[in-house]
Amino acid sequence: MKKAVIAFALVTALGWGSAQTITVASGTVGQELELTTNAVERYRELNPGVDVQIATTGDLVEDRLGYYLQVFEAQSDEIDVLQIDVIWPGDLEEHLVDLNQYGAEAVADQHFDAIIENNTVDGKLLGIPWFTDAGLLYYRTDLLEKYGFDGPPATWTELTSMAETIQEGERAEGNQDFWGFVWQGNAYEGLTCDALEWLDSNNAGTIISPDGVITVNNDAAVATLELAASWVGTISPNGVTNFAEEDARNMWQAGNAAFMRNWPYAYSLGNAEDSAIAGQFDVSPLPAGEGGAPAATLGGWQLGVSKYSDDVAGAADLALFLASYEEQKIRAIEGSLNPTIKALYEDEDVLAANPFFGSLFDVFTNATARPSTATAPNYSAVSRAFYTSVHSVLTGQEDADVALEILELDLEALTGFPTGDPQ
Amino acid sequence: MTDPSQTPSTPPRKGPSKLARREERTAAWLLVPSLVIILLIAIYPLGQVFFESFREREFASSEPGRFVGLQNYQQLLSMTIRELPLELDANGQPVIEDGELQYESWVRVLPREPMRYRAVTEFGLFGNRYVLGATESDFILAVWDTLVFTVVAVFWETVLGMIIALALTARFFGRGAMRAAMLVPWAVITAVSARIWEWMLQPTRAGLFNTVGSALGISDGRTNFFGDVALQLPSMIVMDVWKTTPFMALLLLAGLSTIPKELYEAARVDGANPIRQYFSITLPLLAPTLVVALIFRTLDSLRVFDIFQVVLGNQRYSMASYAQSMLINVRDVGLSSAASVIIFVLIFAFAVGYIRAFGVNQE
Repeated sequence: MKKAVIAFALVTALGWGSAQTITVASGTVGQELELTTNAVERYRELNPGVDVQIATTGDLVEDRLGYYLQVFEAQSDEIDVLQIDVIWPGDLEEHLVDLNQYGAEAVADQHFDAIIENNTVDGKLLGIPWFTDAGLLYYRTDLLEKYGFDGPPATWTELTSMAETIQEGERAEGNQDFWGFVWQGNAYEGLTCDALEWLDSNNAGTIISPDGVITVNNDAAVATLELAASWVGTISPNGVTNFAEEDARNMWQAGNAAFMRNWPYAYSLGNAEDSAIAGQFDVSPLPAGEGGAPAATLGGWQLGVSKYSDDVAGAADLALFLASYEEQKIRAIEGSLNPTIKALYEDEDVLAANPFFGSLFDVFTNATARPSTATAPNYSAVSRAFYTSVHSVLTGQEDADVALEILELDLEALTGFPTGDPQ
Repeated sequence: MTDPSQTPSTPPRKGPSKLARREERTAAWLLVPSLVIILLIAIYPLGQVFFESFREREFASSEPGRFVGLQNYQQLLSMTIRELPLELDANGQPVIEDGELQYESWVRVLPREPMRYRAVTEFGLFGNRYVLGATESDFILAVWDTLVFTVVAVFWETVLGMIIALALTARFFGRGAMRAAMLVPWAVITAVSARIWEWMLQPTRAGLFNTVGSALGISDGRTNFFGDVALQLPSMIVMDVWKTTPFMALLLLAGLSTIPKELYEAARVDGANPIRQYFSITLPLLAPTLVVALIFRTLDSLRVFDIFQVVLGNQRYSMASYAQSMLINVRDVGLSSAASVIIFVLIFAFAVGYIRAFGVNQE
């Protein structure tokens, strides 16, 4: 009954965008929706006069951005508070409100400087950081022990051979559906994140350097993509080229994979009661390439307020509440979503729930940014060209060297930047 | 001299009566709401798409666009064919791998100025190898894929729909229930049924088809229906045939019920066997219904969007999902609108072609 009421309220709120309600657009990956619903409930108790609704958005980043763009194009007040990706502030600048004018200035210095800087365009703070993300390697501690490995792999080559050994062993014991390594290989933003980690950890650059040089077409990148393509059908399922985060997590959490590349949110879900692998896995930094250092793509989400909202002040108040110390603490403990507030990494309750927040602190603070600042407002198109190209290599439609040569031409046409070697 | 009977108040004999004229005026007024609605919901958006297709504008941006003439169309439709030279090694000898001559990649062959061309497909002819290049190769591929999808899917829908319709005209116990059950796939929302199929066609044994296939020993349980380029279109076609065959069957069933029973009685008396009856009575009398059903399904398939979008996303496009991707991912309103106009023209051409070919009665 309650669900029906919420559903009805949601429909009406979406339909008419009534002036008295504040609608927050939230992600639905893993526990996100549940966490947001609970937080909104707490906000309602503190502010009895305010009606808050939640609009759900698609799992794929592209779908979410598409929804927002349609709302912005129509200058609709349908959504007031939006969950925006770390790569969007540059692209969405003109539609978002400067939160510094609504009380964010007082709390901004609690958050990581790098994220605040990322979210600030022309002196305007377009999003209050909500949670941060970095790519991690999940590995099965029980299986590593069983097959005599001391710890997680340090290099991609090591990962490849460990995955082969474990996969062969598990299949011989009867689990024909077991795979060595699962990750995100569908043609979408997630593949850009994964592939950026492969490149950067092999000293093959970050597609486009921060000072605007196209560096993606180099020998190290070719070799890296060839290695990744060799995984498909050997240590990774053929279907990995259709995987997003949740596909990889489902296979991993069913106990059918030895390694997984994913974001921190999968940690608490993997230890939940209904998980087949609870207590049998750990996380580590992703492997490095030969002669490179590990790299993790910086992800994370902010809360922005739409310029077309009926009640900008109310919406900003809700955004600041959702991103506050207490709320981020709850999200960290219940959902293993990384806080953006520095002090929370010293909070005992948070560290007890997620020991890796402490041990992998450097991974989160030194994550590799996607080239969204250098390429704004064309980042989406740049990323689309990149993941399409990588996808064509993974599916074997194009050779890595040819694909990167084409990609370089595409990026030149898109951005007008010069080409060069990664530093 | 004026005849009193021809006073101005009497209407001329041959023209419409006063009453008729009043009725015509009323009719015109009654039509206004429908015309306004058509103007608002059909003509206005259509006009806007035409308008935007001649301009360059970023989606969801306050920057005003600018007029670019036919540039968007030129970008979508420019094509060229080039011969691929043989790949030569350092000594100038042709490279041979696995007993086959190797050719240079199209990247080095297709023109880059003033517009860049990419490969759509490569083909061999008279011992040479050629590449078909297009400035928007994704769009050309989308058009081709959509046409293949339409022809194959509509063919199977018609054949299977006909078989089901004929079976359901027979009198048997539970016919009503069968008719209702037949409609279930059509009633399911496409985005939902696409997801169901996505699960059934999973590339692991979590999927129904791979489980059954590996149990029967006909596959290794890892067939990648949506990732393997060769299986993508067939998978889409199977999903569409499953979904829309009931619609076809329903239309044909309605057509069958209008055929008078007496004709069959007469045919039986004359000694015509069922096959003869089908080709001499059923098919000719069903033809008008069949043509209408074909038009419906063909036009519908040409603008297929949902199953491509849900299942293949940015991997492979139909014409409509390409237009959507251009708008949302690339934020190019002009290119997206031009693609939509081309879809509109293509569908229009198909409709006219059908009407001409089958001589559908204009009335």
